[in-house]
Amino acid sequence: MADAVLNKKFDWEKFRRRSFTTPTDSIITVVVFAGLTWLVWQALSWGVFHAVWSADNVEECGHGGACWSVIDARHRLILFGLYPYDEHWRSALACLSIIGTVIISCFPWTWTAKRLSTLWIVGFATYFLLMEGSLLGLPQVTTDQWGGLALTLFLFSSVVLIGMPMGLGLALMRRSEMPVVRGFASLVIDTIRSLPLLTTLFTAAVVIPILLPSWLEGDKIWRVIIAFGLFFACYQAEVLRGGFQAITKGQFEAGKALGLTYWQILGRIVLPQVFRHALPATVNNVVVTFKETAIVIIIGFFDVLASANAAFGTGEWAPYYIEVLAFVAAIYWVFLFGLGQYGEYLKRRMKVAER
Amino acid sequence: MQVKGLAAGLAVAAGLTFPSLAMAESPTIKAIQDRGTLLCSGHNGSYFGFVEVNDKNEWKGLDIDLCRAMTTALLGDPDKSKIVPLSWAQRFPALQSGDVDVIIKATGWTMGRDTELGLQFSIPYFFGGAQFMAHGDLGITEAKDLAGGTICVEAGTTIERIAANYLQSLGVEHTMVSYEKASELRAAYLANRCDSFVAWGPFLAVLRATEMENPDAHVILNDQLSNEPISAAMRQGDEDFVDFTNWMLAALLIAEEEGITSENVEEMAANPPNPKIARLLGAEPGMGERLGIRDTWAKEMIAAVGNYGEIYHRNLGDNSPYKLERGLNNLWSHGGVLYAPQLD
Repeated sequence: MADAVLNKKFDWEKFRRRSFTTPTDSIITVVVFAGLTWLVWQALSWGVFHAVWSADNVEECGHGGACWSVIDARHRLILFGLYPYDEHWRSALACLSIIGTVIISCFPWTWTAKRLSTLWIVGFATYFLLMEGSLLGLPQVTTDQWGGLALTLFLFSSVVLIGMPMGLGLALMRRSEMPVVRGFASLVIDTIRSLPLLTTLFTAAVVIPILLPSWLEGDKIWRVIIAFGLFFACYQAEVLRGGFQAITKGQFEAGKALGLTYWQILGRIVLPQVFRHALPATVNNVVVTFKETAIVIIIGFFDVLASANAAFGTGEWAPYYIEVLAFVAAIYWVFLFGLGQYGEYLKRRMKVAER
Repeated sequence: MQVKGLAAGLAVAAGLTFPSLAMAESPTIKAIQDRGTLLCSGHNGSYFGFVEVNDKNEWKGLDIDLCRAMTTALLGDPDKSKIVPLSWAQRFPALQSGDVDVIIKATGWTMGRDTELGLQFSIPYFFGGAQFMAHGDLGITEAKDLAGGTICVEAGTTIERIAANYLQSLGVEHTMVSYEKASELRAAYLANRCDSFVAWGPFLAVLRATEMENPDAHVILNDQLSNEPISAAMRQGDEDFVDFTNWMLAALLIAEEEGITSENVEEMAANPPNPKIARLLGAEPGMGERLGIRDTWAKEMIAAVGNYGEIYHRNLGDNSPYKLERGLNNLWSHGGVLYAPQLD
């Protein structure tokens, strides 16, 4: 939408016709425009013109402008949480490796099973080796010290990475002709979907160590990722089921008549169409998951929002919580707006099939 | 159910395995020493003055300093503590499942936690309760001066009842105005809608220090309307660990009482002015043996984090942004309610 408007030359005649035909129209246009201008002016005046930018002159804060000094002083806490201060470069590189992996896998060139899986294994291994460190001969940093944006990105990408194939598996099982398999998948999906995410994660993080012997527990972060991934998978399975329903039975039969195997029909005929139909809902699910990662604050993970709370949770910085929250909102916006735009691009690209 | 059963099981196991030995042998302390780290409770964010994160991404605060004191006493090095971030809801299950060894997290000692949750509490290390804050230019110095005034309070809290009760018993006529949220309350107070407002004391102090344009224009009255003891919480069934925690807190108080600080502790240990100090700092044997640890634990602990007064001033008092008066949290000899059991 946005680039469509930019690409066209501005049509004054149309603008006049739409906005100033009657006196009422004119008044509404002027009032709304003035209101918007005032709001933007207020925001700029607070956030830019009267703002204090550096932590060194924090004493100038508190005179009507934003105090970005708090970001200057605390951004490393927000981005990297409780990760040891001297090792932050590792956290930063690890973040870049995840972001890079996501960006590269957005290009259609990588869309073969082999390339995608290699890319993600390499990307994840880089992240883990850098963050954990002991295998590279760096000081070891255990997972409970990971935090900030680095942790949010890790949680999000591993949840989607685990949840996507699991969701596909569950969707296929639910379509199975074997009643036991079908019943099992339905039971799992409906049970998990009937539980709040919070209780699922709380169970994984807090209750399981009480129930299981310690050698079976595993690291808290993995328990949480698996539980979160399962939750994601159940929703994704239902999204994909919608996609499957859009495909007529005739296509399966045609495939069988041509002598293709089940997996060939699935991989070459059905799934590409399923993904296309399910794309908007999938992007939705992914975006919601990114935002929901903030829930892990309740089980003591220091994700980007928890770090932000800690960032303004000291005497010196307590008055400037709005600035910190605005900064975190901007981080979320950059990632999610990017994701949304990519979804739009995919939709346009997939329309090629319909021509 | 599971939690209770487990705690009961631990209690039985401890009772069977360790029948009243003369010398302490705590399974918790042994586990901590074998591991080489003490696992303490942190927070998922910050709790002003008690658990915070500094600009270097390190934990600080009153509760954190107590954890570091405990770590020094047990392991000889404050940096061997490990702070596990926990939410409020998560703290007790995390203790039961062994994710942490002890909870030092602004946690009140209540009967329900002591009995039903299967916890044990140390002696209180902090007291906080409802207090009044008033506009300084009104010349109010105690609760009696509030007569005829308007008091803002958060609706539906126990504080509302406590304040009404307290003022009635003083015979002070007043108008109570309640607000749904703390932020509305604050705004109403700042807009002079009420002469004073009533809330948890440390919260008021933090609010005054951080969110009032001119903190000196507001006074927090000395009247304590209620009082909640804040203690360290431990798993049931390890009495020796509770003993240790109590004496660790006691040692910090005794050190303040006797004027032992992080600066002069070495000197005091070398030339102890009296036998009590000699015993406390390990110049004479006995302090460690009874608890099953080193004789010099208290000396090392005070050298690392200071006495109780130093810890308080660093995190809540004069050397912090909050400037919170000692009030109840002073030694009994200075008008507070903190006292240590007798060191013999």
